Amino acid sequence: MALLPDLRRYARSLSASDADGEDLLQDGVERLLSARSGWSGANFRAWAMTTMTNLYRNGTRRQRRFASTELDEASALPDPSPAGDPLERARLQRALDRLSPEFRATLMLVVVEGHSYAEVAAITQAPLGTVMSLLSRARAEVARHLAEDNIVPLRRSE
Amino acid sequence: MSDTGKPMTEQDLHAYADGQLPADDMARVETWLASHPDDVARIREWQQQNRTIQAIFAPYRTNRPGDEDLLKTQPAPETAAPHRWRLRGLQTAAAVALFGLGIAVGHYLPASLAPAIEARAALGDEASSAFLIYASEVRHPVEVRADEKDHLVKWLSKRLGQKLAAPDLSARGFSLVGGRLVPVNGRAGALLMYEDAAGKRLTMLVGQSAADAVTSFRFAAQGPVETFYWIDEKLSYAVTGEIPRDVLRGVAEDSYQQFQSL
Repeated sequence: MALLPDLRRYARSLSASDADGEDLLQDGVERLLSARSGWSGANFRAWAMTTMTNLYRNGTRRQRRFASTELDEASALPDPSPAGDPLERARLQRALDRLSPEFRATLMLVVVEGHSYAEVAAITQAPLGTVMSLLSRARAEVARHLAEDNIVPLRRSE
Repeated sequence: MSDTGKPMTEQDLHAYADGQLPADDMARVETWLASHPDDVARIREWQQQNRTIQAIFAPYRTNRPGDEDLLKTQPAPETAAPHRWRLRGLQTAAAVALFGLGIAVGHYLPASLAPAIEARAALGDEASSAFLIYASEVRHPVEVRADEKDHLVKWLSKRLGQKLAAPDLSARGFSLVGGRLVPVNGRAGALLMYEDAAGKRLTMLVGQSAADAVTSFRFAAQGPVETFYWIDEKLSYAVTGEIPRDVLRGVAEDSYQQFQSL
């Protein structure tokens, strides 16, 4: 059970850049290894995820280096283009970067780490109803940010 | 199978999208969805988004060189001696759990996508710089003028190593002034210039793209100078001007169609 790759992915999924992801991972590992009383010896993964999540949430560490380096806003134009597109990914990533830590952690634990809602509740130490509400609001936020973005869908000739 | 009982909630829809809906609720939700296409569309969108998010972060689930050192960076212990022994044991166990037994050598983090994305953003900047420099040039806006169009296109195609054309923008009221060779991202690129009856100019920058990709139209503005740009496989394109946005976008769409049919 090698957890480090999972933690790296989770850390990166919470971060706006590769460097921030590695920073968070390092801090997390340090915390995990030095935590004096945290781990009972059972369910290491959940405990590790909780530790990382708390670090991410509480730290609000070097906040959003990439906050607003993006292009100027254009008139809001809807965009239903496909997902394989690298710009599409970049755009989604930017929308994620604008989520608050609570929203982002919940969304990533479900989507990227594949945890059940109940597991997410345990990891984030929140009631199940809160997890559901955070998830739903996170997705609404993402949709809002995407709608604000400035992509014009490309029209292939009919 | 009936619609009675619990009402449909937002949470049911998310659970359905995430494959986390309890089996008992399945029939109820599916009955609802059969008559609510809007909710079906939202679910599809979330699922598509899930896949994209997974694809974005999947490559990071890996070991990297230096991971061994990560586990050695332990701060000095703070607790009193009696507990130390037991805690050491836990720490070691934690390290083993974290790190696993074998490190998959050669399975390291792929090169970041970030530079490619930055390169694209830079395209907008390069395009507006090129516009600002050359569009205001009265006497020598271009190296080869439109009356030598065939020569111009052949020359630029050769330098870019890709078949190029000068799109016909007469439907938008713009005619070709000419073109010149310019550096784009450190490689040979082409700058075509157009002008309307009033002498308003726009430029079209064509560069060699670093990676094969097909992107949506992207929009950038530097003050009043606006750019639409996109990448279509080997080449990247940027249309820049100080003209109304919908006109510029029309030009971009026309150009896109014409380049595509080359």
